[in-house]
Amino acid sequence: MTRRRLFRPEEGGVGAGLDVGALAPMVDMMTLLLVFMLRSYATEPAPAPPVADFALAGTVSEDPRSRAVEVLVAGDGVWVDGRRLATLTAGDPEVLVRPLYEALLKLRGPRRVEVHADHRVSYAMLRRILYTARAAEYDEIALVAVNRASL
Amino acid sequence: MSRLFRSPPPAEADVRPTLLGVVTLLFLLLFFLLTTSTGQRLGVIGLRLGSAADLAPLPHAGLLRTLEVDMEGGTLRVLAEVQTTDIAAASTSVERRQFELPPVQGSVDLAGLARLVEEFHALDPSQTRARLRPDETTGTGALVAVLDVMRGGSDAPRFPNVALVGLGE
Repeated sequence: MTRRRLFRPEEGGVGAGLDVGALAPMVDMMTLLLVFMLRSYATEPAPAPPVADFALAGTVSEDPRSRAVEVLVAGDGVWVDGRRLATLTAGDPEVLVRPLYEALLKLRGPRRVEVHADHRVSYAMLRRILYTARAAEYDEIALVAVNRASL
Repeated sequence: MSRLFRSPPPAEADVRPTLLGVVTLLFLLLFFLLTTSTGQRLGVIGLRLGSAADLAPLPHAGLLRTLEVDMEGGTLRVLAEVQTTDIAAASTSVERRQFELPPVQGSVDLAGLARLVEEFHALDPSQTRARLRPDETTGTGALVAVLDVMRGGSDAPRFPNVALVGLGE
C-alpha cells in the first residue's frame, strides 16, 4: 500500500511540491463544508427585543419566513418594529391587547403577523397576542422558532 | 516505417493549479458566507386561526373524524373519534378513544405523543386537521414542540393543519 503525502520535499524537479492526490479530498471537504453552511445558515438575522436572555423555541419546521409584521414577545413586554407597545400583566381580564391592536390596525402592508415569542412565554400571554392579531383582521398568523438544524 | 507521432507524447498536464484555484474559490465563498450570514435559521409554524366570518369546516368523511390533544400541566390527553363499521356493514358508529400521557422526567411525553399521532395518521392519511388545546401555563417552547409532533416533518407530514382551540379553527 502506498502512502499519499501532501508535500514531497524529497523529490526535486517538475513533480515536486503539492501532490494531486491530496488536493482532490481537500476540494471534497471544502464542498461539503460549503453545502453544510448553506444548509444551516440564514442570510437574514432574527429580530430580537432588547432583553438579555431572549431565546426562541426550537422547531423542526423548515417553512421559510415571508413578508410580515413582526411582533416580539418576551417577559411581559410586546414590541412591534422595535418599539415597546405594551406590558402584559397576569390576571388582566381583557384578552385584547389594546395598544397592539391599534398599532396593527394602523400598519399598512401584508396582512400577515409573525410572532417571535420567547420560549418561556406562557400560552396565557401568547393567546392574547394571537387573539389581538386576529381581531385586527390579520389573515395569516405564524409562530417563529429556531430551526433545530441551525448552529 | 512511418510513425504517427514523431515526437514523444507530451507530458501529462499539471492539474494542480486548477485544483488550487478551485480550493481558493471555495475558501473565499466560505469566508463570504460566514461574514454575511447568521447561524440561527428560523422556521415558521403557520397557525390556523380562521376569522369569525369563515364557515365551519365540513365534517371529515374518513375513518378518523377528529383528533384533539389537550395539554394540562405536563400531561397530554389525546382524544380521537374513529368511525367503525360492523362486519355486515349495516351500521356505522363513531368510537371515542382517549389516551393519557403523563409527563416523562418533568416534561411532556413527546415520544408517546408521536407514536399515537402516527398511529392515527396511518389509520386515515386523508385527515389533515387536528386541534390543540394548550393549558394557560404551557410555555411557548412546549407548545411548539407539541405542534411539531402533531404536524410532522415536511418529508412526512401527519396533521399539518393544527388549530388552536379557543382562537377559531
